[in-house]
Amino acid sequence: MKILTLDQLDQFFTRISETWELRLPVLLPDGTRAIAPFTSAPPALLGGAVPGKPTAAFFPQQASVFTVYDGALQEPQTPDRPLFIIGFTPRDLACLRFIDRFFADGWRDDIYFRQRQHAVVAGLSGLCGPNGAMIPPAGGDCDLEFFFDGSNWLVVPYSEAGQAIVASLPDSSSPKTLELFRQASAQPEDENEILIKRASELLQADRVPDSFWAEIGERCIACTGCNLACPTCTCFGVQDWRSARQTERSRMWDSCQLDGFMREASGHNPLGSEALRTRRRIHHKLAADPEKWGEISCFLCGRCDAVCPTGIGMVAVARELVTRFGLTESKYLVTGG
Amino acid sequence: MHSSKQLYNSSSLYLPFDCEIISIKNLTPAEKLFRLRRLDGAALGHLSGQFVQVSLLGWGEAPISVASSPTRDGYFELGVRRAGSLTGAMHQLQAGDIIGIRGPFGRPFDLAQLHRQDLLLISGGCGLAPMRSLIQYCEDRPEEFGQISVLYGAKNPEHALFKDDLAVWEASASFACSLTVDNISSGDCYSGNIGLITALIPPLSFDPAATIAVIVGPPVMYRAVIAELKKKELTSDRIVVSLERQMRCGVGKCGHCTIEHLYCCQDGPVFRLDEVEHLRGAL
Repeated sequence: MKILTLDQLDQFFTRISETWELRLPVLLPDGTRAIAPFTSAPPALLGGAVPGKPTAAFFPQQASVFTVYDGALQEPQTPDRPLFIIGFTPRDLACLRFIDRFFADGWRDDIYFRQRQHAVVAGLSGLCGPNGAMIPPAGGDCDLEFFFDGSNWLVVPYSEAGQAIVASLPDSSSPKTLELFRQASAQPEDENEILIKRASELLQADRVPDSFWAEIGERCIACTGCNLACPTCTCFGVQDWRSARQTERSRMWDSCQLDGFMREASGHNPLGSEALRTRRRIHHKLAADPEKWGEISCFLCGRCDAVCPTGIGMVAVARELVTRFGLTESKYLVTGG
Repeated sequence: MHSSKQLYNSSSLYLPFDCEIISIKNLTPAEKLFRLRRLDGAALGHLSGQFVQVSLLGWGEAPISVASSPTRDGYFELGVRRAGSLTGAMHQLQAGDIIGIRGPFGRPFDLAQLHRQDLLLISGGCGLAPMRSLIQYCEDRPEEFGQISVLYGAKNPEHALFKDDLAVWEASASFACSLTVDNISSGDCYSGNIGLITALIPPLSFDPAATIAVIVGPPVMYRAVIAELKKKELTSDRIVVSLERQMRCGVGKCGHCTIEHLYCCQDGPVFRLDEVEHLRGAL
């Protein structure tokens, strides 16, 4: 385990940025935080998860597929410098692990891996949550992890790339290892994790009536904030942009909460109501993905609940769902639940 | 089904290859048949039931089923209805023009399941385009199948697709072929069946233990046809459906064609009925 004092951090990032395209949490002029290039704004590692989806580094809102300029085809190039990105909380890292698997499975998505394959991902944990709250260490799912012990950053490499990057840093003399911090911060499964698992059970058992989705769907204003903020939402549309000499084909994030998401050229729409679309958004994460991938694809980052103006983010819906239709024989049932 | 695949030598999965339009034939006032070949001379390499992503620069991409059998060498055909901006632009093209193609994609008809079986090939409207690929295959390899019955329903005589093919199939000793139209206009020169395609099923006599029904048609058709087939004691594992969805990528990434946990572009578009009949929104 290595150590970086707060004074050494800026020097470390400057060194990293000589080789890598460094992106990290920064403080924006409006007081919010975002993952952005190192030189764009003051670094702001403290404060917990950033509001935007961190997986946008590899699955951006818009990505070029190809460009035809004056009749000549041009494919996007692999970036000159690989990405070094820091700012993933352990829950964000779980999201990244999930979509890594999604984009690699079957047809390997070259647009995603163009940026992802040589990137170094660093996790953030420790006493760097909102108002200094403890974020338990990830212990993996990344190349290296930055853990804030309240005074310094402890840096733990997990991959060869991570080890090479931290090799020149001083070793930590702290008697506390990350494992000891993990044990000290260990908590019983939190309420939201239990809620999500129980909601998943209910959906997989098909015990949620259509009337529930009609009611929840009525509240959706189709702002698509939930999808745009979700680190495991991977749906996209394809669009050609034409100008006088150039046509660019690109792909852009899409939202299953929009009426046109599945509408076919014939006019038929398998998701022709807010109820069906809202059900699809929740069901996909909690029932379809467990069936296909063996795990729930919501890792409780909380972004959709934070951005939804009408209170139908994932945890909010799971809570309503469990409250109304909760299983009595659930394996996740807690006393009084 | 989910092993890692790399189809093209191209650096990108999303880059189409060039195909030349060999010929264009008007099928109906709204549908044309495009005969194509790859510019590099290679075969498309498709199987009946698969689709391609048609790419028109400036218009994007659209999924279109292949309407010809892989047994027909040197070309492949796409039946295209003018329904949106891309298909509208495609209808303006001429023989000799170049378009982009990605694919073929999707799970084809399972020829092992159909082997030596009597086949009921039931299609409606545009559904005859993907079905035609299978029918042509049956024409070219009749020894692989039992008795073949083609049932086709169109809105009216004018909108019936592949009229030349239907005439050949009706005259063929290898096929039983029945056409029906929903209605006719006063000036139509038509003396065949009038009514929904479901009306063609009750008179049929077949052994449900030796018969496979394949259905391709508009969404409204499936439940009604399946109900008629089940009255004839055909079980769900002997009914095959091909489902239309708006695939945007063809490779299981864009999310537009999901049916619960299934991706229609990869797990389908061809499914056995027992694989999907319990899934919300499948039919």
